[in-house]
Amino acid sequence: MAGKMTLLALTVRVHVERSPRRSRKFVLDVALEFPPGVTVIFGPSGAGKSTLLDCIAGLLKPQKGRIAAGDEVFFESNAGEGTDAKAAVDIRPERRHIGYVFQSLSLFPHMSVLRNVTYGLSNLPPAQQNQRASEILSAFRIETLASREPGELSGGEQQRVALARSLVTQPRVLLLDEPMTGLDTELKASITKDLLSWNDQHKIPILYVTHNREEAAALGGRTIFLKNGKVTEQAESPMPAVQVRES
Amino acid sequence: MEALLLSIRLSVTVSAILFAIGLPLAYWLTFSDWPGKFLVEAVVALPLVLPPTVLGFYLLVAMGSQGPLGRFWQAAFGHGLAFTFTGLVIASVLYSLPFAVQPLVASFEGVDRKLLDASSVLGAGRLRTFLRVILPLSIPGVISAAVLSFAHTLGEFGVVLMVGGNLAGATRTVSIEIYDRVQSMDYTEANHIALGLLIFSFVVLSIVYGVNRHLGRRIWSPWPAK
Repeated sequence: MAGKMTLLALTVRVHVERSPRRSRKFVLDVALEFPPGVTVIFGPSGAGKSTLLDCIAGLLKPQKGRIAAGDEVFFESNAGEGTDAKAAVDIRPERRHIGYVFQSLSLFPHMSVLRNVTYGLSNLPPAQQNQRASEILSAFRIETLASREPGELSGGEQQRVALARSLVTQPRVLLLDEPMTGLDTELKASITKDLLSWNDQHKIPILYVTHNREEAAALGGRTIFLKNGKVTEQAESPMPAVQVRES
Repeated sequence: MEALLLSIRLSVTVSAILFAIGLPLAYWLTFSDWPGKFLVEAVVALPLVLPPTVLGFYLLVAMGSQGPLGRFWQAAFGHGLAFTFTGLVIASVLYSLPFAVQPLVASFEGVDRKLLDASSVLGAGRLRTFLRVILPLSIPGVISAAVLSFAHTLGEFGVVLMVGGNLAGATRTVSIEIYDRVQSMDYTEANHIALGLLIFSFVVLSIVYGVNRHLGRRIWSPWPAK
């Protein structure tokens, strides 16, 4: 865990049970460690990938487990309790300082790109907000879009804005939930390159959820295979390149 | 004229109070997980189905000199509540509550929950999420709530008659005035007042809906896009 800089790994041990009214019971039970750098979480839909990310972000409360970035504990349940016990530690999502890009991106439709990007910086003075925003906008090559609204942007541009909005707050961890769905291969590669070069400097754990083999292979890094709420395989090396099917 | 001014004063006061009560109540009704929430929903919606005389009757009893609200008011302010403007305001707030709350709940429910998740992950607490995301995206619902509260209060009759009676300058609203004129066979004057109320209501509604439709939320939003 200790590295050249203050590199913090994310450790996650969660047990989640959900019984939706009209479908069968779902159980997610995993214990994982995410070092700085990209970890691809790969699995079919319904494997529990998004549930895992929601638990880490604090949007969903596991029945049992512990979630921590370095020494900072986000969630910890009491030892040896029943599934209904109250969590001993449960930091609210707004205090966890985690970046999360949803599949839907969820840009605020009534705000300009600049307002979207500075949304998470309200604790800083305006001058600093603008400086940070302009840095991140140029890192993702969208500085010309600052005054536009999300509805006027292409899919790739929205994707870049969503990444910029999450990373401008300098989060401890970045969660990406199939963020590139619907983009063409070239665009994906270009955005991935900008993301990886941002992380060369910041070195945070990036959890990249996908069910697309090409994306997983392109990102490199570690790969975790998730199926029916369980880890079926962990590979330290990048996912083997498979025959690329052009979309 | 006195009656019309009184009605407008009543409507403005009631709308302002409903706005202040309606926003937090609608927020709670939309986002609370409390299992007994349906009971509160039923109470809020009661005025929609109750005859105004039933609501008016119970309010009159409560505000009377022997009623709990009336006695409290007497002790606190030295005068009763029944047949006063204040009593009328309280009654109207209760009577028009669903007209303020329901459009707000509908528009809060229409806001994509993922946007609220995004807001909280970006560090915003509930109040900030409400002010910066939920409210600006619910502007049409807020306008509907304000217009309906105002219009419904302006046109009410049964509750006013039960709780306020018919005191010139204090509780004789425009709808009571019209009823009075008709009772005394003064159809010409009744027609003048009724026509005035009709035109006034039509103009207010047209302006609000027209502005809302043609200029969209941008003009109403307290947080413009850039």
